[in-house]
Amino acid sequence: MTEPHALDIPTADDIRGLVRPDHVHRRAYADPAVFQLEQERIFGRLWIYVAHESQVKKPGDFVRTRLGGHEVLVTRGEDEKINVLINRCPHRGARLCMVDQGTSRLFSCPYHAWVFKPDGSLSSVPHRQSYPASFDLNDSNNHMQRIKQIQTYRGFIFATLNENPEPLLNHLGAMTEVIDNLVDRAPDGEVEMGESYFSVEYRGNWKLHMENAADIFHPSFVHASSVMPARKAPANASILDQDQTREMLLANGFGFKEWEGIQLNGLPGGHAYMTNIYSNGVLVQKEADPVATQYRASLVAKVGEERTAQILGMNRFNNIVYPNLIINAQYQQMRVATPIAVDRTLVRIYCFRLKGAPDEMFHRSVRFLTTLGSPASMIFSDDIEMLERCQQGLSKDEGPWVDFSRGLDSDRRDTNGMLSGAASEMPMRVQFQAWLNYLTAEAA
Amino acid sequence: MFDQTTQRQIELFLFEEARLLDSGDFQGWLKLYEPQGIYWMPSKPGQTDPLNVASIIYEDHGILSIRVQRLLEERALVLTPMPRTTHVVGNIEVEPAGQEEGEAAFKVGATFICVVHQGDKQTLYSGRHSYDLVRSGEAFRIKMKRVALMNSDATHAPMTIPL
Repeated sequence: MTEPHALDIPTADDIRGLVRPDHVHRRAYADPAVFQLEQERIFGRLWIYVAHESQVKKPGDFVRTRLGGHEVLVTRGEDEKINVLINRCPHRGARLCMVDQGTSRLFSCPYHAWVFKPDGSLSSVPHRQSYPASFDLNDSNNHMQRIKQIQTYRGFIFATLNENPEPLLNHLGAMTEVIDNLVDRAPDGEVEMGESYFSVEYRGNWKLHMENAADIFHPSFVHASSVMPARKAPANASILDQDQTREMLLANGFGFKEWEGIQLNGLPGGHAYMTNIYSNGVLVQKEADPVATQYRASLVAKVGEERTAQILGMNRFNNIVYPNLIINAQYQQMRVATPIAVDRTLVRIYCFRLKGAPDEMFHRSVRFLTTLGSPASMIFSDDIEMLERCQQGLSKDEGPWVDFSRGLDSDRRDTNGMLSGAASEMPMRVQFQAWLNYLTAEAA
Repeated sequence: MFDQTTQRQIELFLFEEARLLDSGDFQGWLKLYEPQGIYWMPSKPGQTDPLNVASIIYEDHGILSIRVQRLLEERALVLTPMPRTTHVVGNIEVEPAGQEEGEAAFKVGATFICVVHQGDKQTLYSGRHSYDLVRSGEAFRIKMKRVALMNSDATHAPMTIPL
């Protein structure tokens, strides 16, 4: 990792020079100094999703994740409160926890045996008498470093390094609707993160993934190699998943007909989502689908017919919470793209269980996770190939501008933000406008 | 009856599978599977549940045939240039597993190493194969192949060729 002083941090004018209404300079993706500024002003200042409450149900439960440039532990303390702690022993600086999740009443540093409680406070040190009289177990300098700002929205835990952030709800804005919709789909009004997830790393900038998630123009080209075989394959040849995988592969065969009716939505702050997508196949409820029928009945029993129709009627795909969270409520899927370096990104892909829904609903979510998020996915692997090729091209000096002009003349503005048809690059323009605003804001 | 001849035949069957994959004969490889055969690559060490725990791959013949067809599609981005592989299979242990519809069945364990070369990238995979095989005349067919990657739960780059 590069030390902060090693690079000349771009000025606000430098950054403004990288973004035009319809073009972005390649340095936005390839310049380590720009990346460093992003780490400070986007990943260091905005609310960043860190964990789901269902992962830390009881005292001592923890998950290891990243926040800005830090590795952090999200823990549940003995007082039931959530903590976000830098994963580092304050004594000699050693990494403390070496696993991604688990339960531990104490975090013990194996070097000189400083022992910490799940809230990060120092519980004990051996050979206390050899430390100076001034050494105080209660001194916060001797505790695991705490991230002070933590807020939760309906089970989704966000944290920020910003000591004076705007309220989480302001940042999320209308994106709370998709978190609401995901949770409301659970008959018991609660979701639980599935125990399995995938971690996939690609050799490209983090923004490439966020742009790709807002891009419904690419699938028919990038995913042709899985659409074509799925079209040739007979229906119901697979008995494992009621044809779900084949239909998902088929669904990427977007043409003019499928683009009709899809609307892209761009919101202030850089958020974006698609509406009215995937109106065929297993991705929507069919009349004679026993699993969906049973699930619907379980929801109706809890919240009534009218509310059920309202909840299940929400058809928003790839809900992108700026900067790095993607939620698909109707398939209970979530992705987090974490920047590792200017040209390296870690993507974690999760799914949720709807509490109170039939088990088969969760099996479908797990299946969706594999089909779309596994490293061997016949879809995601082609996306990653494209993201890496973009990075390879953008790391070269030739042709410095990237074109984001498609749809520029037909985008519309309403009271909530920007609207466009499926083929527009409006969401990327919205993302870059937000990027520009965040990077040029001097004060937090 | 299980004997050294059967052990040798099964070893040769596993070598044939490796050769089919390494030579890019994915359709030939698929023919080694029973019509209901399953290819399973878990995402966690010791994973026993393919329904509640996501797998890297959990596919039966119907989905595998799409995967194989994709490997033959010229437009598969992730396959340009086409990866070249070396599958090495060893430590093959065979256990008889009774009869399945009148045919002898076997449980087979083996270790594997696979090196994937693609462009300037070289990726090393290793782990343990477990097979449920049934005899089919002179040959064998795969009912289930479980590919337990040593680092199944690690962060991965995209995977292309079956291991």
